[in-house]
Amino acid sequence: MAELSLQHIDKIYDNNVQAVFDFNLDARDGEFIVLVGPSGCGKSTTLRMVAGLEDISAGKLILDGRDITQTPAKDRDMAMVFQSYALYGHMTIYENMAFSLTLRKENPNVIHKKVLAAAEILGLTEQLNKKPSQLSGGQRQRVAMGRSIVRNPKLFLFDEPLSNLDAKLRGATRREILLLHKRLGATMLYVTHDQTEALTLADRIVCMSMGHVQQIGTPLELYDSPANLFVASFIGLPPMNFFTATVRDGYLEGKGFRAALNEEEKGVLLPYAGKEIELGVRPEDVILGDDVAMNIFSNENLGMNTLVHGHIGGGDKISAKLRGWYDYKNGDCANVAFARKHFFDKETTQAIRKGATT
Amino acid sequence: MNEELTIKRDRMRFTKNTLSSTLAILAIVFDVFYFINIYKSDVGHSVGNFYYQSRIGVSIVYNLVFMLAAFLASEGVKNYRKEYCWVLLVIGVLQIVRIFILPAQASAAEVTIGGVTTKVMESPQHVRVTIYLLLSAAGCIAGGVIGAIRCRELSEHLASIGEKA
Repeated sequence: MAELSLQHIDKIYDNNVQAVFDFNLDARDGEFIVLVGPSGCGKSTTLRMVAGLEDISAGKLILDGRDITQTPAKDRDMAMVFQSYALYGHMTIYENMAFSLTLRKENPNVIHKKVLAAAEILGLTEQLNKKPSQLSGGQRQRVAMGRSIVRNPKLFLFDEPLSNLDAKLRGATRREILLLHKRLGATMLYVTHDQTEALTLADRIVCMSMGHVQQIGTPLELYDSPANLFVASFIGLPPMNFFTATVRDGYLEGKGFRAALNEEEKGVLLPYAGKEIELGVRPEDVILGDDVAMNIFSNENLGMNTLVHGHIGGGDKISAKLRGWYDYKNGDCANVAFARKHFFDKETTQAIRKGATT
Repeated sequence: MNEELTIKRDRMRFTKNTLSSTLAILAIVFDVFYFINIYKSDVGHSVGNFYYQSRIGVSIVYNLVFMLAAFLASEGVKNYRKEYCWVLLVIGVLQIVRIFILPAQASAAEVTIGGVTTKVMESPQHVRVTIYLLLSAAGCIAGGVIGAIRCRELSEHLASIGEKA
C-alpha cells in the first residue's frame, strides 16, 4: 500500500528535448491511476521516471512520505509490467515468477507459498511447469503480473501491458487487471494510449499531450466535463464533433446550423455574446431533431446503435450515434439536434464553464 | 509431517532436481580429468607398448559411453526420473571397478628402457587418476542416491495430494 506524489516533475533529455513539463500528481493509497495520451506525449517517460529507469531532471518523487527522487530503481519497491512481458524463455512459469525473490535470497519455502498464491489469483496454477513459449499472449501477460505480485511491492507500474494482445484477449485481460486491483487493493500506475482501457480501469485518469498534463479526473469527469479541446477530442469514441459557432440572441449560429441554447447554456455563454467559440457535441448527444440538417454519406449499423456520418450545411463533418437501427442511404438527409453541448474558448481552447470571463 | 517439510516436498513439483544433475555433470568432469591423465606416463614415451594395445580402444569407447550415459542420466534425474537414478548408481559403481583395471595394471606394470626397468605408472600419477575416478564415482552415486530419495519423496507427496506423478 502506498501513496505516491509527483511534484513539479520535468524530464529534459541530454539533447535539450523536454519530454515532460511540470507534472504534478498525488496518487492515493490503493488508487488506480491511468496515464493516457497519444504516442510521444510523455506518459511512458513519466512512468519510467517513477520506476527509476529514467533520471528526473527536476521535481520531487515522494513515496509514502519518503523522497525517492534519487533512489535507485532496485530500492524503490515497485514492480513494473512491460508490454513485451520480459519473461525468461528458458525458465518455467514457476521459475519466472520466483526469479526476483530467488535473487533476493528469500527462503525457498516462502517463495513457493508466494508463487502458488499469485498463480492461484491469476489462474496460472496449471501452467506453472510450462515454458512461456507454450502460453498464449494473455497468459504470458498474467505471468508478468504474477512476477510483480509475488514481490508484494508498494506500487505496481504497467507500461501498455495489453498492447500486444488481440482485441478479444485485451478485453478479457483488462477485466482481470481490474479484478486484480480490487483483490490486492494496491496502488497502480498504468500507461496506455487506449482510452477504453483508461475509462474502464481508472479511478482517476491523467490525460497528457506534448508532455503537459491536460486534465486529471475521474473517467466521468473527463468524459462529461473535458477541460479543453484536446481532452474533449481524445476521450470518447467516436470522437466529439467540433463546429465553430457564434453566440447570438440565445442561439449558437454556425455554418449550416442554428442551435437554440437553454437558460443554463445562455448563462455560461453570457460573456461570449457575439463572439466565436468552439462547439463540441458528442456523437451520442446528436439526436433526431430540428436544429441541423445533416447530409448523410455513411451509415454503420452496430446492432443497438447506428453510427451515421454526414456533413452539415457549412461542409463540417458530423457523426451521430443514433439509438436503434437506421438504414440511411448515401445522400439521404436527416434533421438532428444537439442534446448536450460543450463549449470551448476558441483562443485558449479551454472549456467554457459557468462564471467564465473572456 | 510438519508444514515446512510438506512445502519443501511440494516445491519439487515445480523445481528441477539440480543437485543430482550437477553431481552427475561433476562426475563427467572428473572422468575427463582421469581420461586426460591416464594415457600419459611419468616415465616418458617408451611405455607405448603397454598402452597401445586393444585396451586403449576399449578404454576410450567406455569413456565416451560413460559421458553419454552420465549426461543423459543428469537430465533424467533433473526431472525426477527414477530409472536414471539407477543408471547413475550403476555407472558410479563401474567407475570404482575401473580403478582396479587400467590404473592398477599400469601401476603394477614395468618397462625396461635402456636396460633400466621402471614402472609404467609411478605412484603420484596412480594416486591422481584413482582420486579422479573416485570423485567421479562419488558424483554418480551421490547423484543417484539423492535422486532416488527425492523421486520417492515426490511420488509420495503427489500421491498424498492426489496428483499423478
